[in-house]
Amino acid sequence: MTTPEPTAVERVERPVEPLPAEESVPARTFEVKNLSIWYGEKRAIEGVTMDIASKAVTAIIGPSGCGKSTFLRALNRMHELVPKTRLEGTVLLQGEDLYSSNVDPAIVRRRVGMVFQKSNPFPTMSIGENVVIGLKLNGVRDRRFLNERLEKSLRMAALWDEVKDDLHKPGTSLSGGQQQRLCIARALAVEPEVVLMDEPCSALDPIATAKIEELIYELKSKYTIVTVTHNMQQAGRISDYTAFFYLGRLIEFGETTKIFTHPSERQTEDYITGRFG
Amino acid sequence: MIAHRHILGTFEESLAALRNNVLMMAGLTDRSMERAMKGLFNRDDNLCANTIADDEEIDQLEKQIDKEGVDILLRFQPVASDLRRVVAAMKLSTNLERIADQATTIARRARKLNQHPPLPEVELIKPMHEHAMLMFKDSVDAFVREDVKLGCEVVGRDEKLDDLNQTVSNKLVERMAQNQDQLRGYLNLIFVGRCLERVGDHATNIAEDAVYAAAAEDIRHQHAAARA
Repeated sequence: MTTPEPTAVERVERPVEPLPAEESVPARTFEVKNLSIWYGEKRAIEGVTMDIASKAVTAIIGPSGCGKSTFLRALNRMHELVPKTRLEGTVLLQGEDLYSSNVDPAIVRRRVGMVFQKSNPFPTMSIGENVVIGLKLNGVRDRRFLNERLEKSLRMAALWDEVKDDLHKPGTSLSGGQQQRLCIARALAVEPEVVLMDEPCSALDPIATAKIEELIYELKSKYTIVTVTHNMQQAGRISDYTAFFYLGRLIEFGETTKIFTHPSERQTEDYITGRFG
Repeated sequence: MIAHRHILGTFEESLAALRNNVLMMAGLTDRSMERAMKGLFNRDDNLCANTIADDEEIDQLEKQIDKEGVDILLRFQPVASDLRRVVAAMKLSTNLERIADQATTIARRARKLNQHPPLPEVELIKPMHEHAMLMFKDSVDAFVREDVKLGCEVVGRDEKLDDLNQTVSNKLVERMAQNQDQLRGYLNLIFVGRCLERVGDHATNIAEDAVYAAAAEDIRHQHAAARA
């Protein structure tokens, strides 16, 4: 005989018990342990511990200045480009310490690509050159291989049909939404394991935003995606997991459906419902 | 970070307006039920007529609440507790409208009964009436106070109302066999009993929605699943 499900009252009155270990833990791309980051004297991230699931979309939300972008950049050592940064804790990518002394940051950034808030195609390069520049910088010269990768990347970025006849035109001749997809194609061309996105749609109109969102949904079958967004509805639409940051700390992290219907923390509830202030 | 009001004042106002309309609709529904039952017990045709007339206002409120709910979903895209409250309010209004429909049916049956000599068996309905109305009031209370415990209690009370209805129906069927001159009267009382039983069902729905709004927990159909 099976034990009946406890009623809501029983659950309310019963002390909270730790959850049993899940039988099928999703595969993890990143394991972040006790991560703290300083810019000079200012601590931007404080003791963040979280695992990022593979081939899923994780959204990072939180008010301005909460450390979202710093956290995102720490996942491919991009934050090191800011002078006087200091980091404590560990970030493991597929079990390998990203900050180990023998790890080349350039290799990290190839494995973990990034797309920024404002699309930034190289202004002097054509559409085609923009896509394959990463491969060329890595020494790839085989024209046939480059052409194949060019088409594959543009197709994955859902841009091929729109630009296939204009590959020689400047990347900056494209619309804002197309430029952002061009940047995604550029990030995909080097075949990264992870794509980081820092507010990728914040400068786009609703149609271009919808195309990027659709693209993110399709890309997650092949890549682990971590995205920072200020748009709650977008986080709800595109992500599988959501992390809420506040004042440099990770307040709550869990499945997006749970976070947006019944968050566990009052601070999360106040932020996502617009009571924060 | 202590903040209980939304930064967006218009969102706060819209949520408050929706809640106020739900409370007003609950108040009118309660009044309709009480008037219908008084019309039955006191043989008062005026109260029955008022109940039937008030139904239109309650119907309009249901439409108003649905419109306001959709408007909030469209304009503010609420999440978390706000989303649950809006969804629960819209479902609540549907159940309130159906309770008001039951009040109208009771009022119509009462008017028919009032055309004939009084039936002492009307007393059989009183325990059902008390039980159903307490369920209804407590379910609305559970919604207003976001009281999960009370909501769950109300859900558990529905079985007793079903039993009471069964008992009353059995007794009235017996009387029908004994006194065939009052067949129509007894039949009307059976229908009144069924209406009260339906009020209990709607109160159960409201209580379940109240629990969902307060605790994000879906407790619907748990009794049925346990029985199966």
